[in-house]
Amino acid sequence: MIIDINFVGLIITSIMASSVPLILASCGELITERSGVLNLGVEGMMIIGAISGFALMTVTGSLVIAVFGAMLAGVLISTIFAFLTQTLITNHVATGLALTIFGIGISAMIGKNFVGIPGKEFPVLFGSLKDAIPFLSPILFGHSIVFYFAFALPFITNYFLKKTKIGLIVRAVGDSPDSASNQGINVRLVRYLCILYGGAMCGLAGAYLSMIYTPQWIENMTGGRGWIALALVVFSTWNPIKILIGAMIFGGLTIIQFHMQAIGVRIPVQFLTALPYIVTIIVLVVISRDSRKIRLSTPSSLGKSFYKDN
Amino acid sequence: MNTNLKISNITKIYPGCIANDNVSLEFESGKIYALLGENGAGKSTLVKVLSGVIMPDEGEIFLNKKILKLNSPIDAKKNDIGMVFQHFNLFETLSVFENLIIDSDEAGHSLREKIQLIMEKYNFSINLDIPVLNLSAGQKQKVEIIRSLIRNPKVLIMDEPTSVLTEQETSELFLSLKKFSEEGILIIYITHKLKEVMQLCDEVAVMRKGKLVSVSLIKDENIESLANKMVGQNLKAVKKKKLSTSTSIQLIKITNLNFTSEDPFETNLKNINFSVNRGECLGIAGISGNGQSELFQILSGEIISERNSIEFNKYFIGDLNPQERRKYLMAFSPEDRLEQAAIPQMKIFENVALNNFKSSNFFNNGLINESRIKEHAKKIITDFNVNTDNIELKSQFLSGGNLQKLIIGRELITSPDLLICFNPTWGLDVGAINYIHETLIKINDQNKSIILISTDTDELLKLSDKISVIHKGKLSKIMNSDEVTSEKLGILMGGGEID
Repeated sequence: MIIDINFVGLIITSIMASSVPLILASCGELITERSGVLNLGVEGMMIIGAISGFALMTVTGSLVIAVFGAMLAGVLISTIFAFLTQTLITNHVATGLALTIFGIGISAMIGKNFVGIPGKEFPVLFGSLKDAIPFLSPILFGHSIVFYFAFALPFITNYFLKKTKIGLIVRAVGDSPDSASNQGINVRLVRYLCILYGGAMCGLAGAYLSMIYTPQWIENMTGGRGWIALALVVFSTWNPIKILIGAMIFGGLTIIQFHMQAIGVRIPVQFLTALPYIVTIIVLVVISRDSRKIRLSTPSSLGKSFYKDN
Repeated sequence: MNTNLKISNITKIYPGCIANDNVSLEFESGKIYALLGENGAGKSTLVKVLSGVIMPDEGEIFLNKKILKLNSPIDAKKNDIGMVFQHFNLFETLSVFENLIIDSDEAGHSLREKIQLIMEKYNFSINLDIPVLNLSAGQKQKVEIIRSLIRNPKVLIMDEPTSVLTEQETSELFLSLKKFSEEGILIIYITHKLKEVMQLCDEVAVMRKGKLVSVSLIKDENIESLANKMVGQNLKAVKKKKLSTSTSIQLIKITNLNFTSEDPFETNLKNINFSVNRGECLGIAGISGNGQSELFQILSGEIISERNSIEFNKYFIGDLNPQERRKYLMAFSPEDRLEQAAIPQMKIFENVALNNFKSSNFFNNGLINESRIKEHAKKIITDFNVNTDNIELKSQFLSGGNLQKLIIGRELITSPDLLICFNPTWGLDVGAINYIHETLIKINDQNKSIILISTDTDELLKLSDKISVIHKGKLSKIMNSDEVTSEKLGILMGGGEID
């Protein structure tokens, strides 16, 4: 077998493309969790984003409206979660699960009329440079703006959390909402905003799937990526850079095991399909095993309701 | 700069209790004021009102004759009222500097300079770039104080500041507070420790059951007069126990006990060795977080250790769990009454049944023998003076003192050979403390032994025959309690050496 360098480049590109929704959703959920809120509705918010994006694109014909509309849809559905958990102080886990079930159901209902409609081509950036350099060009150029945004996002998130005042406040609220409240920080407001931001990123992740990655609407098309995104956040120990690594490994193994199945490697299919899940978790556990660092980056108040006694 | 703080007719009512009943007080800068009272007297509520954390139902606050509306902690900060809470309001996983910059409007480098100046002026030395969870309690408190000082406060309120400090750290704190006071900061010092009031303050206001009982000058008071005002009755203090003519029959022996934890929040124990004879009380002093809770868990069997490291009554029991250890007649009273010792949502008699001794026949063929448990619970309630007659009451509704009596009663009614207690009087009022102390002395008189792990040195000096100090997971040499003073303990607790 001759290994074509351009072919390797293409594989890497497809790995990166398949990890985009994971990165987007994980980085969104990371901010939510860093403020102490556990939102298990990622899958639901993604699928809502996917159908909203696709539907808006079909109806309005505008890609810009579709992308921002998908993000807005994510924000809206996460507002329900925020209202329930922050204002009515419901349990985070139960509410998040309900959100996912709700999202999958309603997206299937809306999506009925959109099954089988072909998607639109999404414009790419630097398309003309695609063939300029062998191997590197297809990796670097000719992708959608969402793609570039996704790969910048972990670094932006890291900078935001570590270097900005608002990032510090988010971490503080996640560490100890009581102390934060006594310091005069509006804990509920911070958590609301973090939940809505998480919703927007999940909506964008969904829109990427239905508008760019596989431009069509298929019922339940997120296919568990929301759960993987959630797992990435935890196993990366709330570190956006490790999320990027984890998402790449997961995306990579998913693509490679497809190729291995296609080539006909004599390994049971079930094992190959399970491989990405197992390896990603093992790798993230191994690179994050410093218990001191885990302690420092784990939001202490994660999943606990906060209410001010007056 | 003269500051005048006045609170008038503050009332705050919680369901079922009047936390502050029409309290009026006036403070002037240049003096240090004590606000004295037992737990539940309403001090903390008043402080929360002054710092804007809660709003009073009635009443007003005036700062320099101007009315203050404190709707949130920000309002208090804006009006130059600084506050150091008993439970630190710090973010453990953030660095010291991050903790300080979070509520400041200044830019990073100018704030850093300002902090350095403050630290130099008051002789604090704290690394600004390590996470707060690596600091000692004394250092954490200094961070809180710096946080207040950054804003040049007119008023500084300290809520029970010494509960986590060593003797040395306490005197350092007092020096700083006196310095602040000289510089014109009005200081309000909240405590239930009489000794500190006498040592530090100029004027004292005593609260009891939500009401203001008296305001007086320290020079007109003494410890006894303040104690009586605080409790509202004449107290007879429990006398220090006579040293037992300790038998030389060894009951428990710990040999080369080590414990290494994965959790950075826990303390590793290094080479612990001690023994306790029958009828003896061994006190273990130390500042909280130096390995006491790990030691307690190892002694009680919550953490299993090597079989041979604990020898009890000639049996090796290091690898047994708490239930099995109880069969050898050990009994345990953990630190956290509601989390570890009892289940708050369960009824009193159900909590009694949690100690399932074979001999007590609480269960028949796997079924609960309710009448027998209830009978047993009633006996505990009468024998140990628990102030309730309803054994169906959920244990969370018992006061701290009553719950502690119930727990100690539950442990003692089976007449164990050894009782291990961890901060048995933490957060209790004087009456309950006296009762617990009397009970513990009685146990020793019956030729039974106690291991008393406590952060309260007065309690240890009163009750122990022998005392050791735990610091960073290491035990000091074991001393006879008549050779020990609280100063010596303080030095050892801070990691120092004595000869």
